[in-house]
This record gives sequence, C-alpha cells and structure tokens, in this order.
Amino acid sequence: MAVCIAVIGKENSPKYISCINPSMELHFQYKVHVSLDVVEEKLQAVSKPIADVTKEQYLGLLYSTEEHKIYGYVTNTKIKFIVVVDSSNTLLRDNEIRMMFRRLHSVYADIVCNPFFIPGEVISSKKFDKTVKSIMYGD
Amino acid sequence: MSRQGTRLDQKKVNSELFTLTYGALVSQLMKDYENVDEVNKQLERMGYNIGIRLIEDFLARTGTGRCYDFRDTAEKIQSAFRLYLGISPQIMNWSSSGDEFSLQFDSNPLTEFVELPDHCLNLKYCNVLTGVLKGALEMVQMDIASCFVQDHLKGDPCTELRVKFIKRLEDAIPAGED
Repeated sequence: MAVCIAVIGKENSPKYISCINPSMELHFQYKVHVSLDVVEEKLQAVSKPIADVTKEQYLGLLYSTEEHKIYGYVTNTKIKFIVVVDSSNTLLRDNEIRMMFRRLHSVYADIVCNPFFIPGEVISSKKFDKTVKSIMYGD
Repeated sequence: MSRQGTRLDQKKVNSELFTLTYGALVSQLMKDYENVDEVNKQLERMGYNIGIRLIEDFLARTGTGRCYDFRDTAEKIQSAFRLYLGISPQIMNWSSSGDEFSLQFDSNPLTEFVELPDHCLNLKYCNVLTGVLKGALEMVQMDIASCFVQDHLKGDPCTELRVKFIKRLEDAIPAGED
C-alpha cells in the first residue's frame, strides 16, 4: 500500500525509516526531509486557534509529486509519522490513510511502553519493524 | 488517543500502570547492576520478600486449610495467580513421581509491552514470580525450587514455569532443645 513509512522525533531527528525497496531509502529520506517543512507550516497554521483543544493529529496530504504522495500525522507529543504512497495507486482513500496512521500510532505507543526502550532514541524494535512492514504491504 | 480508554475499577489497579511499574523496576535494576545474573538474583530476592508476606494475605482472604498433597498445592497456586494477577496458568506436565509440575502462562500481564534487547537475552524478566512462590511456600513449610524453562520473551511459544517440590520443612526447633 505505502512505499515508505518514517517516524520523526520531536526535534525533527529521524527515528525510524523503512521502505519497500531498501535501495531507494536515501531517495525517500530526502522526500521525508522535504516534507517536514510542510509539516511545520501546517502545525503553525493549526496552533493559531488555541481554543481548539481536540487538535486534529492527521495533517492530510503534505504534497504530491508525479510519482508519490506524502501524508503526515503529528501526535500531541510532536512525534511525526510520514507515509509515502505511490501516486498511481488511486484505490487509496483518505480513510485508509487515516487507518494506517492510527495503527502506526498505536504500535508506536506500544513500543514506547517497552521498559527497555529509551524515549527519544532511534527505534530498533523488531516488533515495530514487523508491524510497519505489514502496514506497508497493506493487510 | 490511539489507545482505547480503559475503564478504571476503583478497587483494582490499572494493568498498564502495573506493567509499566514492573518494567521500570527491571530496567532500573539492569542499569544499577549491569549484570544480568545479578539482576535475576535480585528479582528473585524481591519476590521472596513479597511471597513471605503475600501468603498471609492469601490465607486470610481465601481461608484455605492444609494441602493434602502437592497436586492440591498446585491448584492453590493457580488460584493465587487468578486472585493476584488475574490470570489462570495451566497446570501440566506432572512428573511421574508427582513432585514436579509446570505452570503454563498463555498471557502474562508482566510482559505485555516488553521486548528484550539483544544484550540481555539471559534476563529472566519474570523471575520475581519464582521468588514469590519460594517465599510463600516456605512459610507453609514447603521447600520448592522453580525456574523458567520456556519464556515467551525469548521466542518460545509460551511461558512455562517449572515447580519442583524438594522437602517438607519441619518446624524449626532451636538447636539444643530436642
């Protein structure tokens, strides 16, 4: 379903990246990196009406190129999830993307609860890796 | 947020709080001792100290009497797990002489989020349980040994705790008074 999934930390440091084709990883890192600016922009736009407590965590489409579409999601702790999907894949609706993010968020919450994981470190959990792969392949 | 809000029962502690507390304890021990064997030992000692107190509570709450044999004991241990941890491990693999059995855990609230890092694969994460059993049974004049033979955290299909009866402890008589 997705071609690349990345987790970015609070200070925009990369915590985890995984893509279907490992040889393309650098290429995707660039894309994810570029999209962070858009995330920042959207966050600033959102933070203006402060009264809105139940902030939307799903940021929607960040930007699209000819071959890829990039979606973003920010948790309330400022952890960013970035998902890159193929532009040719028109079957993917907004709803499915939201579902992906929700699963990603819940598996992220689980690995943070692992007592041996230090928050802020790079994520090296095998369980997380496995779940992310299964989200990417879309089941 | 992403996790469904668990309803809080006033009398019971939230299981996630419990899991995280135990996790913090173990990871702090790992930091302090930097030696897996030492941590295993400490966990067992802590469990022992819990066990010798917990048995009083167990007896007071359930009002159980003497056990007729070791099978009886096994059932009571099982019911204690249900009482305190809300899980019922299966009793299985009795040895032919009836002095050794296994408790098999399908789920274990202690290990819910845990993933062992590669450098401490020898860590017996739930070793506190072996200590609890030893402490509790020692207070009712039974000497046992227990150890984990399978551990879900190490990739085994389930967690299995082997319990072996060693001997009955006679009521300790001070030396020179027989």
